[in-house]
Amino acid sequence: MTYSDRELLVMVIIGIVSVLSALTLLIILNKAWREAREAMDRRRRATLEPDVFRYAGASDTRALREYLDLPLSSRDERIVEAILLDVAGLVKGESRERITTACETLGLVAAAVTGLKSRRWWKRAGSAEKLGMMRSKQSVDALVAAMDDPMGEVRIRAARALGLIRGRTSVRPIVKALSDPNRWSAIRLAEILIGAGEESVDELLEAYDGLPKPARVSALDVIGRVRTPRAAALLRRALKDPLPDVRARAAHAMGLIADPTFVEDLSICLGDEVWAVRAMAAKALGRIGAPQSVPRLAGLMSDREWWVRSNAGDALRALGVPGREALIKTLEEPDAYARHQAVAQLEEGGIIDEYVSDLGSGDPARREAAIQFVRKVISAQRIDRLSHQAVEHTQDSVRRTLLKILKPEPQGGSS
Amino acid sequence: MTTNPARVLVVDDDPLTRRFVGALLRQKGHEVHEAIDGEDALRAVHTLQPRLVILDLVMPMKDGYEVLEALKADPATKRIPVLILSMRSREEDVVKGLNLGAEDYVTKPFNAQELMVRIGKILERTW
Repeated sequence: MTYSDRELLVMVIIGIVSVLSALTLLIILNKAWREAREAMDRRRRATLEPDVFRYAGASDTRALREYLDLPLSSRDERIVEAILLDVAGLVKGESRERITTACETLGLVAAAVTGLKSRRWWKRAGSAEKLGMMRSKQSVDALVAAMDDPMGEVRIRAARALGLIRGRTSVRPIVKALSDPNRWSAIRLAEILIGAGEESVDELLEAYDGLPKPARVSALDVIGRVRTPRAAALLRRALKDPLPDVRARAAHAMGLIADPTFVEDLSICLGDEVWAVRAMAAKALGRIGAPQSVPRLAGLMSDREWWVRSNAGDALRALGVPGREALIKTLEEPDAYARHQAVAQLEEGGIIDEYVSDLGSGDPARREAAIQFVRKVISAQRIDRLSHQAVEHTQDSVRRTLLKILKPEPQGGSS
Repeated sequence: MTTNPARVLVVDDDPLTRRFVGALLRQKGHEVHEAIDGEDALRAVHTLQPRLVILDLVMPMKDGYEVLEALKADPATKRIPVLILSMRSREEDVVKGLNLGAEDYVTKPFNAQELMVRIGKILERTW
């Protein structure tokens, strides 16, 4: 039997249309099935949710199963897990612990631990994420093992989960991972350890001496950001480390902790041969708020490095009246860089604006002090703010006085 | 601690928080109503005259501070106690909320029992 060209064409068209129709029908059915399943899940969730909420908010010894209609189907278990993990983000304290207990007793922790062994990496990552939300100590060993997963995303989620579970056993592998910068991002690990808070400090203090240099820098960063005073002895020792990065980070951590007993140690560091250490020590002294360090900080306003001058200026500005007086005195320094930094700090602190406003004061002594101050700023050769105020200040008398002082002043001059 | 059943309005743009706090309150026998944003909250307060408003701060339309200010500026609603339940935990936010007239301030994540005790205390004080 032979077909004409026309018949063949009709058959091909019918074939294509049939395949397309079947595909379309398949897509529609699949979408309808998914929507129907989601609607059923929503209805079932609405039924189960109040019982799970009652359990989470209660303080009795009854298990979650006693609050729910038994038995739970596997679909129910999935829905209950979703509700528990949603509520986990809302609550803390006893309610949070009850969620962990429920996840353990319903076998959800065990299921997620099994999920860590899945062949699909995204399932392993999802399981690690869930275990972090469940915060069960039962999952620590499996999560520690997952920190050696070939996929980076699984490793970091396992580390994050361990950080959320807390406890020294959980934190230890994260601290250990700091030593392996090729496999781990030190910044992400540090964030996890900071989230674990004081519990990471014990482990860091114990492991510190065995850590390689970059890990020690990260460890000091964590210690500073956790703001633990328990690391004082380690920080003092790190401040004398032969490695400048370590000294600088120790100084920074001391500033974050802001313990006044660090002032003497930090003041010595202001004379460090490495500029980064001097800069960090200056910043730390400003944070601690140590007025006794004003003379040393004022001396750093002439440092050869901009960052040191800038941090010393910031610190002086933070130190209240004595710091402000030191900045004003710096305006008379022979070093142009020191003068410019002082002007920048006085401008940033609103002190230039305060004196400019005093030019319109009814008190002759205040007015005279303001005139003397403005003249010092002009001689420091940074008059941007003064020029701006000479045009923009709200008081006419201030603008006129300022213009009068600015105009006769000779331009240029020595530094 | 037991308190008389009261009408409570839970204002939060997050449905999960509304449902969870609502369930805790219903468990104690309170009548719970929900509002999903600031404007909805102001309408609901005028209609329902609740005994207590549990108010989130970060919401669309009108934020919690605006709602609180509006409630305290209106003689018809200024005596209704407000408990702020917010993720904002900075000191200045707490001080601002209390200065604007909130009875109490609880930060998220919260301890469910502690929240219920605080609610109970407010309802006792303002009965």
